Amino acid sequence: MSRLEAKKPPLFISEPLNKDVVSQSLSLLSGILKSCYGPAGRLKQLHNGVGGYVCTTSQSSAILSRLSVSHPVLSVLTASVQSHISRFSDCGLFTAILCCSLIENFKSLNVASCTVIKISKHLLGLCMDYLKSEACGCRVAVDFSSVETLLCLVRSVLTSKPACMLNKSEVDHLTTLILKAFMFTVPCHVETDAVLGKCIIVPVKGGRVADSTVLPGLLIETPEIKLTKPLTVKRTCSNMIKIALFCVSMSGDCFNHEEGTVTVHHGISLEMSELDQLLNVGKQLVNDEVGLVVCQKVIHPFLKQYLKENHVIAVDRAGLSLMEPLSQMTGSKPIASIHLLSPSCYGNLKDVCLESFASKHFVHLIPKDAVICSLILCNRNETAWDELKRACETAEHVLQLTIKEPLALLGGGCTETHLASYVRHKSGSLSTSSLNDIDCSRAQYQLVADGFCRSLESVACSLNHDDGEILTDMVYGHCWFVPSGFPSVSNWSDLVSKCGCRINGNTENLNWRLLQGQFGSPVIQGCPRALGKADFLTLDCFAAKCSGLQVALETANLILDLSYVIEDQN
Amino acid sequence: MAFRDVNARRHIGLQRLSSLALAGRTFLGPMKSCKFIVDESTNQSTLICSAVRLIESLDLTTAAGQLLNETIQAQKKEFNTGMSTLLFLVGAWSNAVGECLQQNVPVSAIVSVMSEGLNSCCERVQCLQIAIHDVNKELCSSNISAPEEVIPINSCSHQENDCNFNKGLVSPLASFGSIASLVKPVGDKSTSVISGSDVIASSCNKQKLTHSRYFSTLGKRHFSSQQGNFQGYLSGPSADPCECYGLGHLAMALSHGNQASTKLLQSIVTYQQERAEHSGSSQFNIAEIVTCCLLGLPESYSHVSPGFVTLVSPEQATVIKHFEDKPLRILLMDGDLTEQYRHLGFNRPCNVRTILEHPRLQGGREGDLWLSSTLDILISFEVNLVLVKGNVCENLMERCIANSILVIGSVTRDVLCAFGEVTSAQPVTYLTQLNAACVGSGAQAELWKVCDGRAVDLGELVPVRIKAQGIPLLTAVLTTTVASKMQLIEDQLWTLAYRLHHALNDKKVFLGGGAVELLCLSHIQMLAEQPLQPANKNAVKEFHNPWLAASATEYKSVVLPALASGWKKYLSVVMCNTAKAASELEACALVDHHLKKAADCGSPSAYIWKEFRRGDLLRGGSGPFAGHGVGLNVYDNVTAKTEAWRRALDLVLLVLQTDAEIITGPKRHQLLKSHASSEFMFL
Repeated sequence: MSRLEAKKPPLFISEPLNKDVVSQSLSLLSGILKSCYGPAGRLKQLHNGVGGYVCTTSQSSAILSRLSVSHPVLSVLTASVQSHISRFSDCGLFTAILCCSLIENFKSLNVASCTVIKISKHLLGLCMDYLKSEACGCRVAVDFSSVETLLCLVRSVLTSKPACMLNKSEVDHLTTLILKAFMFTVPCHVETDAVLGKCIIVPVKGGRVADSTVLPGLLIETPEIKLTKPLTVKRTCSNMIKIALFCVSMSGDCFNHEEGTVTVHHGISLEMSELDQLLNVGKQLVNDEVGLVVCQKVIHPFLKQYLKENHVIAVDRAGLSLMEPLSQMTGSKPIASIHLLSPSCYGNLKDVCLESFASKHFVHLIPKDAVICSLILCNRNETAWDELKRACETAEHVLQLTIKEPLALLGGGCTETHLASYVRHKSGSLSTSSLNDIDCSRAQYQLVADGFCRSLESVACSLNHDDGEILTDMVYGHCWFVPSGFPSVSNWSDLVSKCGCRINGNTENLNWRLLQGQFGSPVIQGCPRALGKADFLTLDCFAAKCSGLQVALETANLILDLSYVIEDQN
Repeated sequence: MAFRDVNARRHIGLQRLSSLALAGRTFLGPMKSCKFIVDESTNQSTLICSAVRLIESLDLTTAAGQLLNETIQAQKKEFNTGMSTLLFLVGAWSNAVGECLQQNVPVSAIVSVMSEGLNSCCERVQCLQIAIHDVNKELCSSNISAPEEVIPINSCSHQENDCNFNKGLVSPLASFGSIASLVKPVGDKSTSVISGSDVIASSCNKQKLTHSRYFSTLGKRHFSSQQGNFQGYLSGPSADPCECYGLGHLAMALSHGNQASTKLLQSIVTYQQERAEHSGSSQFNIAEIVTCCLLGLPESYSHVSPGFVTLVSPEQATVIKHFEDKPLRILLMDGDLTEQYRHLGFNRPCNVRTILEHPRLQGGREGDLWLSSTLDILISFEVNLVLVKGNVCENLMERCIANSILVIGSVTRDVLCAFGEVTSAQPVTYLTQLNAACVGSGAQAELWKVCDGRAVDLGELVPVRIKAQGIPLLTAVLTTTVASKMQLIEDQLWTLAYRLHHALNDKKVFLGGGAVELLCLSHIQMLAEQPLQPANKNAVKEFHNPWLAASATEYKSVVLPALASGWKKYLSVVMCNTAKAASELEACALVDHHLKKAADCGSPSAYIWKEFRRGDLLRGGSGPFAGHGVGLNVYDNVTAKTEAWRRALDLVLLVLQTDAEIITGPKRHQLLKSHASSEFMFL
């Protein structure tokens, strides 16, 4: 007998943003994310409270993926930030903090949300046009013929993650390695459709960061093969090594995955027949002069022994993540069945050798021309290693995005303050016809633009975690930090040395003002000026930051526009 | 998701680190005090004498505790030494950093000054490194002739004031083979004054711990009966220290006074060096050492045997008697030897049904079939000895014994490999894959005999020795009559072995006995006095205006001494543990005294070189040993030590920079209901 229960009616919540619980949660989330931002950001320990693994991080990707939020408004926010992260890796915190600030600032404006949305879209358009124009004063062109700018980009990513626990020389070492690894993935001979290769991160946890290194080709961990004896490999007549790549399990158990029952007569062993099948595969491999067999899963020890006796190197448990790069690197097609073995599936390798890092042993597969490389990444403890891995992946992704669009934005809060001063300047001189197009009054436009600028500036302010002051100058619109413990009456030029992105030195009087200051902050007369070049800049990924800006504003608009939440209570 | 602010009042994470680390201070230095860890639910206790074992036995559900455990395990995995140093410095630096926070130094300033300070110190102390090559020359040519030895006494700390049996387990002394030395019980807190030798008993440590229990009434009874025996001569055969061991001397210098392990390691080194001369292999190979623990024999029976010594049942031992001295055919198996065993990655089919068309009435069960076929294979290949990595089927074991085949289970991979290399046996997973080429020959098995030639029978288990011509494997047979000491002795041997291993890998060692820490202290003093060195152009460029430079100097003057306080505490606790100073205050005074002398001398490193070469500098300024300079050389590992520092500081700074815990998963709901929910915020 089944029991029927009356369905509960869905719960309607109107104007969700005006609810206390939502705004509290939102400001808590915003507080958590703001406190993580930048090279001096505070770390968070994410754990289950009962003695499991502790993730120490300040990266949005790690925090948001583990965070479970209860309210739909927050879910909308985290989901769109996560989708930004999945596409760009970088600028996740920027997006999330900006989005929270925009919601807070716009909500307090007392302007109808549809008007706010229209105006803010116009402001976004202004920003995007400016960022994409040649005249933009907060972007630098990336010159791929020299490594300097690229190194700055990578270094900025690494130093903005303090939980990696790197010192200066370690940052330098890793920066070079990541760039080197990226260079390996760029093909030498580019035809019409160039495809970047891949950098595989090989974990060596517990080692010193300085022991990290980059090798062309792939490494597969093999605890069994002893290092004492040099490898002898069968080669084909062209002095290459023929490789067979299996993505099917060769452990001898794969006879039946379907449902239902197999009935066999007593005395017949399915295991034995399966093993016979495997040995037949082995025979064919030997006949085809294959020198190396790599299997994603397990190879039956019997088959391994057979291959070894016939001087074929067998490496198993390569893992799913290596299959695609393996196939790309060797030109082999992964073999998905042990019943059909076509010689056209085989690939080629230049060389195979053994390597060991710390206490781990690897087989090193060296291709003819590599677009695949391995970054052997060491860090002292697990939590710092995990953080470093995420940082390296981000840096690698940033380089890939930069090669598509060779631009970078000034980091350290300077892009935010510069954009804010640009918007303040532009919004003051907006033509009446434009206002008519947006269908709003000048006062409304000014209010929203001010909220927008304050949101941008609050992102820059989030970089500061020890109570000091943040300034912006009235010439370039850059962001400046003053350490705590100084009387605010003193002359700012005594206290600042370099701006956030390090492009500006304190050489002329730039007319500083407090960033989080009073209302009606003075507006720059004229456009903020652009600057020349300098070394050791803090740079951000152009594509990621542009997307972050858009995602933040669109998400904030979406959330502002929410008038009902309908909750299914069943 | 629950969210807790860590910085409510003072940094909770740092407090946790410091309280966990406090328990480990008696493990510092050459004179360690053991602890009993008692499980209150089962009333079982274990004797521990190292930071690793301590951390393993503590409740570490907090995030800081987990990170500490992870850090210590990483150090153990990488070096197997330096964990106690790491634990101690974590505690000392957590306290120091906490004090910086109280003085309103910004977190970022603490992080940058401390990590740069440590870097600078690590570079500075490079001048105290000695190349292994030079060490050997020096150790072999010089001294160690004075009848002076440091005898380790495993003293157990206790809470009670009234007792003065603070030297705990004294029985090992009898077997250490040391030169006659007088050991006298020492009263509370008095410095040890014993003529003729620098045998030193540790003073009473009165650390109060929630995690461990000291001798209870049971312990008291046990030891008070021995108290009378303390006053007397401990004598044993005198080891000739001048014999040129080569690496043996290095082992002794790295042992920090642990004689029992040193002796074992020296014999291992002697064996391996002899072998190296013949075969050209490396001088010291840690992978070729195994240990075998024999409980019930006095510690003097510990020694090193070539080959593989392990424990078997008396029935298996009878098989060995049949073998006599004949060469055995050996089989190596790298899985279990049971019917059900399948290699890793093999998934058993669950949907196969077997039908029997012609039931035979007699004829054994399935299992018997496997037993007999397995046995047939073994017999047909004339296998006498099977070494199995995993478990062995009980029934098969019996049948093999009946057929005079010795089967030994739970053999490690290294041992299998060693036998594989010299007998040309190939490890197999299933007996069905066996062919003649897989079976090796030339192994020998015998009952393991103690040095006086007697075979030992320890009741349930019998030690046997398996060897083969030219096998590089060495077994350190560790014996003790005290069950709780077994693990401790094994740990100590491995620690020492790894120290030698890493010293040879690094190709250099540090001047030991506190020299490195003392130089760090003096270096930091110098750094703090010269706030912005003109040599450091970056720093000048960075703070090109006076305001900023002043602020940086101000922070440095707080943070650098905090960094130094870690090493200073380290030195003073080592001195207290070894009773070289009566109190931490006295120890600090002594350290300061030497720091001043080093500074006055102009070149601190030269001063430290000179003083430490003469012997153990921090022996005690006013005691009768002052100026009594000739001593043992003491060396420390280079990488293990600096890495332990770095890991400790990294952990402290990682926790320092953490401002919140985010608790995910089901625990959140419990927190929501719990009384502590006010501490948390929920998303």
